Amino acid sequence: MMRSKRATGVVVAGIAGALLVSGCSKKADDTATSGSTASGSSSQAVSVAFVPKLQGIPYFEAMNTGGQEAATDLGLKWIYKGSTTADPGAQTDIVKSLIQQKVSALFVAPNDPDSMAPVLGDAKAKGIHIATSDTDAPNSDREVFVNQATAEGIGQAISDALLEKMGGKGKLAIVSCGQTAANLNSWIDVEKKYIAQKYPDAQIVSTVYAGEDEAKAVSMAKDLMNAHPDLTGLIGECTSSAPGVAKAVREAGKIGKVFTVGLGTPQAMKPYLTDGSSSAAILWDVQKLGYLTAWAGKQLADGGSLAPDAKLKAKVPDATYDDATKVLLLGPALRITTENVDQFQY
Amino acid sequence: MAAANPGIATRRRRPVARAVEGQELALIIVLAALWLILSISTDTFLTSSNLSNLLYSVAPIAIIGIGMTAVIVTGGIDVSVGSGAAVVMVVVAKAIRDSGLPLAPALALGLAVGLVLGVINGVLVAYGGIHPIIVTFGTLNLYRFLALRLFENKQVTGVPDTFSVLGGGKSGETLGVPNAWWLALVLAAVMWSYMRYWATGRHWYALGNDAAAARLAGIRVKSRTIAAYALTGLFVGLAGIVLIGSGGLVQQNAGTGLELRVIAAVVIGGTSILGGRGSVLGTLLGALLVGTVTSAITLLGWRSELTELFIGVFILVAVGVDLVRERRRRAR
Repeated sequence: MMRSKRATGVVVAGIAGALLVSGCSKKADDTATSGSTASGSSSQAVSVAFVPKLQGIPYFEAMNTGGQEAATDLGLKWIYKGSTTADPGAQTDIVKSLIQQKVSALFVAPNDPDSMAPVLGDAKAKGIHIATSDTDAPNSDREVFVNQATAEGIGQAISDALLEKMGGKGKLAIVSCGQTAANLNSWIDVEKKYIAQKYPDAQIVSTVYAGEDEAKAVSMAKDLMNAHPDLTGLIGECTSSAPGVAKAVREAGKIGKVFTVGLGTPQAMKPYLTDGSSSAAILWDVQKLGYLTAWAGKQLADGGSLAPDAKLKAKVPDATYDDATKVLLLGPALRITTENVDQFQY
Repeated sequence: MAAANPGIATRRRRPVARAVEGQELALIIVLAALWLILSISTDTFLTSSNLSNLLYSVAPIAIIGIGMTAVIVTGGIDVSVGSGAAVVMVVVAKAIRDSGLPLAPALALGLAVGLVLGVINGVLVAYGGIHPIIVTFGTLNLYRFLALRLFENKQVTGVPDTFSVLGGGKSGETLGVPNAWWLALVLAAVMWSYMRYWATGRHWYALGNDAAAARLAGIRVKSRTIAAYALTGLFVGLAGIVLIGSGGLVQQNAGTGLELRVIAAVVIGGTSILGGRGSVLGTLLGALLVGTVTSAITLLGWRSELTELFIGVFILVAVGVDLVRERRRRAR
């Protein structure tokens, strides 16, 4: 009996290990592919695929909406396909399947830029135009990076919005998400430098990482308020920690004592903006970012220039292209408050 | 870790009728030491707001852990609880937001959904003849699929504060302690005495020690198995409601990885992963230890990833101790 129980134990341990590995790579092949326009079957139609970090969150769904809009306007096939977890392995699998489908242009918002680079290399070898959007993979051969805003633009907008409320001084802390997310880390760098320079009386006391988990962000933000009773500011660096830090302030009953600003999507932030637990959300027009991505894909596939043309300017007026860095920039950051939050449907 | 010598402690303390098992005693000592050190070295740990936050964040893990202890004692395991919690959360969050369901019926809805998911697990395990980890690994994916379908590609925003009485805010506290934690304590107390003094509770241990012998002794193996999984499902329903708490946002990744945190708490609490031994008191302590370490690392300003390191070490120590004890028993 003991022997068989032990054997079971070994099996259980082995499977548990397998579970740990595979549990993180569930994919959502169920939804996705929302091709529009262009009669479908013809092999000449330009197909632009975009692989978000994860599917189903309002941020990337809004990008998808913009991409679909561009598909109708510009006559291309828009493919949107992502994993349900922000997991590099699952994302790689999806990119590989799109390479098999021979799309014309492939845009990725990589979860792990370094591990994505060789996969993009494979795609290029197969004659697919490769590019990044939302998050760059600097070590890859990408032909363009569609950038929502510069790191300076985001970092400074977040810092200014928060420090205005804090009266330009005091202690603040940052609740970030994935520890390896390149864009979040670049914003944090800007915030640290910018605040040190422009607001010498303010001090960033701590930076913590909650993953893409709102409940954990709430709990960590409360820990930070407990650890630093004189804390007056919190930054939520991503779309799950921005509502997270606001909820923590609300639950701790510290509205008006601790101010929060975060990178959040309008509808998710609205209740917190309304009750004052969040002072402002910094973002960009995500739908237009999707539009710009689809447009860039068509230009790449057609061999056209990436300098914004009149047709694009009509929809995305602030877009600029820098040939030296191969970065297509959406424009300046957007500050969302109670006054303009209702303009956005996502 | 101090958890390394419960074998000795057990032998010495046998006359106390083992109201507290060796590993539990070791955990109490570790926890007490940790809390003492933290209280002395920081002036922020022993504050009501910090303890309240700690207990609230641990409550869902403890609540599911109570059911999971029963399942693991029977020699099974349920890895589907995280996905189950996601299903409960999306169903309940949408019901209170879109139909304005009040507290009591919403609570009943959450418990009912959890119970159904648990019964499905139990029936598949009892009648399927497949190892529970495989069965519940299957339902982990099925339930996640179901949850994602119910989310319809959107997270649920603007969830009202129907459950704020069980949430993490001031309105969810009694005597400075979160109601969710009081609930976990009451459930643990009931379950502890049930598994200790009731015949049907003892049957779970018999099942985990030797299912064939248990059957020959007249224990209704299948119904006892289903009961353990169904109960876990019920607790998943409750935990889902605690996780919704004061409302706001329910994300698609809700509950992801919850199963591993729950199993960690159970295993650290001294329940044998081989079945037949363990108690909910240990699970409660295990959950507290994990919660304390997580919170302490932020309080002390240490790097976040150290949490994983400590939890990993705790699990290995706990399982190691269990295997050593098992080996000694066989040698005797």
